[in-house]
Amino acid sequence: MNFDLTEEQQLIGQSAREFGKEYLDPIAADLDHSGKFPKAIIEQLAGYDFLGLMLPEEVGGAGAGFVSYIQVVEALSRSCPAIATILNYHSLAAHAIATYGSDAQKKAHVPSLAKGSHLGTLAIYENGPTPGIGPDALLASKQGDKYVLNGTKAFVRNAGVADLYVVFATLEPSEKKALSVFLVNARTPGVTVGPLLDTMGLKGCPVANVVFSNVAVEADALVGGENAGSAIAQDLLAILAVAEGAQTVGLGKAAVKHAAEYAKQRVQFGKPIAVLQAIQTLLADVATDSHMAWLGVLRAAQLIEEGKPFEADAAMVKAFLARFGSKMLIDTCQVEGGFGYSEFMPLPRLFRDIAGTTLMDAPADFPDKIIADSIA
Amino acid sequence: MTILNENQLAIRQQAREFVAKHIIPRAAEFDKSGEFHPYLLEAAKESKIFAMAVPKEYGGLDYDALTQALVLEEWGYGCAGMGTTLAASILSMDSVLVGGNDEQKRRYFTPMLTAQIGAFGLTEPGAGSDAGSGKSTAIKDGDEYVINGTKCWITNGGVATVYVIYALTDPTKGMRGISAFIVERGRPGFTIGTVDHKLGIRSSNTVELLLKDVRVPAANLLGKEGEGMKIAMMTLDLARPAIASLSVGLAQRALDECVKFLQKRYQGKPHQAGQTLQFKLADMQIQIEGARQSLHHTMMLRDAGVPFSKESAICKTLCSDVAMSVTSQAVSLMGSAGYTSELGKYMRDSKIMQIYEGTNQIQRLVISRAVLTPAPVAAPAMKAGE
Repeated sequence: MNFDLTEEQQLIGQSAREFGKEYLDPIAADLDHSGKFPKAIIEQLAGYDFLGLMLPEEVGGAGAGFVSYIQVVEALSRSCPAIATILNYHSLAAHAIATYGSDAQKKAHVPSLAKGSHLGTLAIYENGPTPGIGPDALLASKQGDKYVLNGTKAFVRNAGVADLYVVFATLEPSEKKALSVFLVNARTPGVTVGPLLDTMGLKGCPVANVVFSNVAVEADALVGGENAGSAIAQDLLAILAVAEGAQTVGLGKAAVKHAAEYAKQRVQFGKPIAVLQAIQTLLADVATDSHMAWLGVLRAAQLIEEGKPFEADAAMVKAFLARFGSKMLIDTCQVEGGFGYSEFMPLPRLFRDIAGTTLMDAPADFPDKIIADSIA
Repeated sequence: MTILNENQLAIRQQAREFVAKHIIPRAAEFDKSGEFHPYLLEAAKESKIFAMAVPKEYGGLDYDALTQALVLEEWGYGCAGMGTTLAASILSMDSVLVGGNDEQKRRYFTPMLTAQIGAFGLTEPGAGSDAGSGKSTAIKDGDEYVINGTKCWITNGGVATVYVIYALTDPTKGMRGISAFIVERGRPGFTIGTVDHKLGIRSSNTVELLLKDVRVPAANLLGKEGEGMKIAMMTLDLARPAIASLSVGLAQRALDECVKFLQKRYQGKPHQAGQTLQFKLADMQIQIEGARQSLHHTMMLRDAGVPFSKESAICKTLCSDVAMSVTSQAVSLMGSAGYTSELGKYMRDSKIMQIYEGTNQIQRLVISRAVLTPAPVAAPAMKAGE
């Protein structure tokens, strides 16, 4: 058991922190205001090889592995968590193809995603409680050599800017509501992107419904065989939980650092509030929670990289942060008092962002069931 | 649920109808624009609700404390930002209620009868939790005081017609040199500074007040010179439960919206989602109901004329912490759909409840002092036969 990062992993983390300082810190507040997709930044990420960082070399990735990847996600999130959301959904889409796709699919799609000439995303959620259930569920039917998709995928990140959607649909007729995965080019006739959702935070990552009406794809768009999608979705969502954990840790670290600096400068009762135990407790709680979360994230990432079972570890990261994640900003804003509530200061933006990385996509029972089932 | 009398039930029903008609439909719009809209005062004019705390002898509605809490809960349910406008106006009135003479009360309360509002000016850039360290001065010059200084985060500051401003009449005495003054809007040298853009309660107005050689007559001094800090502390004791009321309303709203959403998502059968979800909803209601009882108990103590300083701090802390917890949980249970600006509003609005009118850390100082120096619990029991 070794938690020390390799020299390569450390260097990658270092370069991501530098990237954050140089390119993200100056634009983070503006991006929050405008909510405009940061195309130029994504191109710069590609220049640093971050878009293909976790993908294997043989399909055109950097082959740096998942532990390196979360170093980058954590580092970027200290400056601008929205960028990390764009990166996560892109990387997970590419990873899905690299892991579950055929040789032809890998060759056709992964190199361009890894290079960043194409942006990808997952279209996984629906308006119903689980995919396949709601009235506007995305259904696929086989018609001759083709599959035809009809329905709506909800809350799709990178909607409208992605070139390629990794789409989860329910293949009809199917008794078990099993999912199947299709690769759909964003420019395919019948694919339309709904109005952008006015999200609370993580602004700059577009979120919208994507509507499929009579979208016909060739048989070779199917990933991993008919009805193979449920297991794939479960795997990807577990990896995503770990990546979002890294995002939350980065956010929490940035917030506690800002609050600690504030506390050293803010003088009340004749001394800096940093010397008050009540303030120290708030800061210590946040630092502790983000540290414990980071250990969990690192461990789960290591298991993912080594190809070992990691679902329970990922679920624990998710459960832990659903409890303590948003508290990191509730408490750090508290340290800054009125300043911590003013949008002229950075913490309110991070408060809105962390609700996205910890509370969004956390169905009430998702982590608990997996954890309970894992107890031998 | 507290047993309410018919009058209280009727007033709560009126408040509910007002909120449904005038506040809920426009809350999202004003949250987005981030601006206070005079529409609210226009709508509230007829009901005299901005004078609900004004005693009868000055023409007000003279609601008891519990009834005021019921109204504020409804406003918090509709929009905590607009509720803050009402609560902050009453906060400023409380200083006059505590420290003012008959003439001052009449002068300060009369505008409230026509839905004009007040603002409470205590906080300064360097004096937040340490409220006694303000630097503003009010120096006597003949039968006037000349006020100089900067106040910040003043709720209603840009839209009020009357203000209570705290300033040092004797800068050498520190907090014992603070005095409280009525300052009317429009006095020369009194200007509005930067408007604050906030994480939440965005429909309420929060500004900086700049006072440069602002002259007020000596008749505007509340109480005596040097009584300012005492008046401010008594004011906050009276006013804190208002924040508790807004918090309870806010938390109940988040739960109701969450349930409404889940009914829709599960097509009328959210219990099918399982016990994990059901128990989370139960926990939310447990917290809200407990918080509400603490608030109502505090208000009943006040109405009975019993000291309630500790309970005031407890209910403010409990209710605001509950609001933060319940609104966060609501976002979580609604998943991606809960992450919109509109539904996230409850969570954004809740955060200020833990900060303003005394941070919850300051409340805990007050409460822990009360815990550490308890009053005698009861007289020793009498022996049989005595």
